[in-house]
Amino acid sequence: MDPRVINALAAASVAGVLFLGFGGVVGTAIGADPVALVKQREQTMKTMGGGLGAVAKFVKGEGATVADVRSAAAAITEMVAKDPHTVFPQGTAIGVSDSEAKPELWQNWPKAVEYWNGLKPAAARLTEAANGGDRTQIAQAMQVMSKACSNCHEDFRQKKP
Amino acid sequence: MSMRGPALLVLLLTISGGALAADPSSPNAVERGEYLFNAAGCLGCHTDEKGGGKPLAGGRPLATPFGTFYPPNITPDPDHGIGRWSDADFIRALREGKGREGEPLYPAFPYTSYTRMTDRDLSDLKAYLFTREAVPTPNRPHELSPPFSWRFTLAGWQWLYLTEVGPRPDDPSKPPDWNRGRYLVEAVAHCGECHTPRTTLGGLDRDRYLAGNPKGPDGDKVPNITPHPKVGIGSWSPGDIALLLEIGLLPDGDVAGGAMAEVVRNSTSKLTAEDRAAIVAYLKSIPPLE
Ligand code: HEC
Ligand code: HEC
Ligand code: HEC
Repeated sequence: MDPRVINALAAASVAGVLFLGFGGVVGTAIGADPVALVKQREQTMKTMGGGLGAVAKFVKGEGATVADVRSAAAAITEMVAKDPHTVFPQGTAIGVSDSEAKPELWQNWPKAVEYWNGLKPAAARLTEAANGGDRTQIAQAMQVMSKACSNCHEDFRQKKP
Repeated sequence: MSMRGPALLVLLLTISGGALAADPSSPNAVERGEYLFNAAGCLGCHTDEKGGGKPLAGGRPLATPFGTFYPPNITPDPDHGIGRWSDADFIRALREGKGREGEPLYPAFPYTSYTRMTDRDLSDLKAYLFTREAVPTPNRPHELSPPFSWRFTLAGWQWLYLTEVGPRPDDPSKPPDWNRGRYLVEAVAHCGECHTPRTTLGGLDRDRYLAGNPKGPDGDKVPNITPHPKVGIGSWSPGDIALLLEIGLLPDGDVAGGAMAEVVRNSTSKLTAEDRAAIVAYLKSIPPLE
């Protein structure tokens, strides 16, 4: 196992859990602090990115193991189960904190929800491939997942330099 | 062939199992043309996908600092498309940026890159285009404000910025994969049209080749892809770059969005693994810029 992969994953999911925990509280108690909501979304995304990065390391033969792929799949599965309303609350578009979410995401909300829900079958496939442990299957599941992510990033995210 | 060894395995990994749309080494002009059509990304600009337009019938708005362009219908329709164009007309449009009547074309059509495509590639590309469905959709005029709306000013622009016309000979001191990579990056896949910044007049700033463009298409901030270790992609392994081109995945697990997602979907994912490796070999060799 590559300790860097494990550390990155662990850090991402611990942070994710912390944020999730507080996020629930923040969401109800303080109402909606848009800056915190943006941070929370970015953390959700980072957790998924950390997971997909670990899968890619395995596929490229750069040190990650099948066990890393399984934890990555689990971390991603946990994130995609979230309700899109909590990941993309109103009032968190570009302009709020360092948000990279285009206003079009809310103008085309049904499309955004469709993209978000498209992550679920991709995560299921990744989990199945991870359990099987076959590199080609995992590579193909990674490609499907990456496609599902890119759909939404193409339309609704504008990266800062 | 300079990259045999362990790196090759990763580079040549084709995740989708080699189900390519077209074969670049086919003896058939239409098949070769289809491969080039994908590599050159003609579909994305000339189709109003979001507006439900038919393929190549034109119309997707391209927002630029100079106004909005509506790429024309390039289906073989004789009245509204390019059905009456000869091979020579077509080659002249892509190589010299001239319309059928010889009028200068706006560089929102990236002929400053396509100019380097070979005669054979351009005529194969036309052969493929002419097998597509003819669609009688009329062209929509561009929405530009003066002086950009005055087409005649383009002759001056071309004099300034279309200084090198036609294909470049291969560099014999470099291996074939490097030369192929340069051809794909510079000419066909026109990476510089987005990744090279522009001068105030909209010409490519060649001194900053592939060093990133803060004002890219649709307001995208286009990153530096020179091998600079900090601001470019110098720290990416060849496999990292190849994977980005194949499936859009960045080394940290993030996924490319904006215009690059379309480039990956329509173009670089449809290249052969050898062609992606050639692009990587070339990108690794260019001067790192800050
Ligand atoms: C429904 C839309 C949508 C989907 C699906 C989606 N993303 Fe995102 N992603 C966004 C938006 C919007 C942002 C910008 C968030 C912000 O800055 O507030 C983003 C940002 C990111 C970031 C940067 C976070 C940061 O600030 O550092 C990463 C990493 C990321 N996404 C990874 C992924 C991965 C991996 C997937 C697929 C498993 C995915 N995303 C799926 C919309 C989406
Ligand atoms: C970045 C967007 C973009 C891409 C990519 C692109 N075009 Fe165009 N194209 C345009 C625009 C905009 C015009 C209109 C230029 C003008 O009006 O002066 C145009 C004009 C043309 C014309 C002239 C048509 C006429 O009626 O005068 C032809 C032919 C053409 N494109 C073919 C192609 C082919 C073939 C490809 C792929 C190799 C391609 N284009 C890729 C944007 C694009
Ligand atoms: C139509 C414009 C366009 C074209 C053409 C284009 N790119 Fe990109 N590219 C982008 C944008 C925009 C991004 C940033 C993606 C994002 O926002 O997630 C990008 C990102 C990248 C990245 C990731 C860099 C990083 O640091 O994140 C690489 C590598 C890249 N492009 C290589 C290429 C290559 C090689 C070509 C030619 C085969 C090419 N691009 C053609 C617009 C383009």
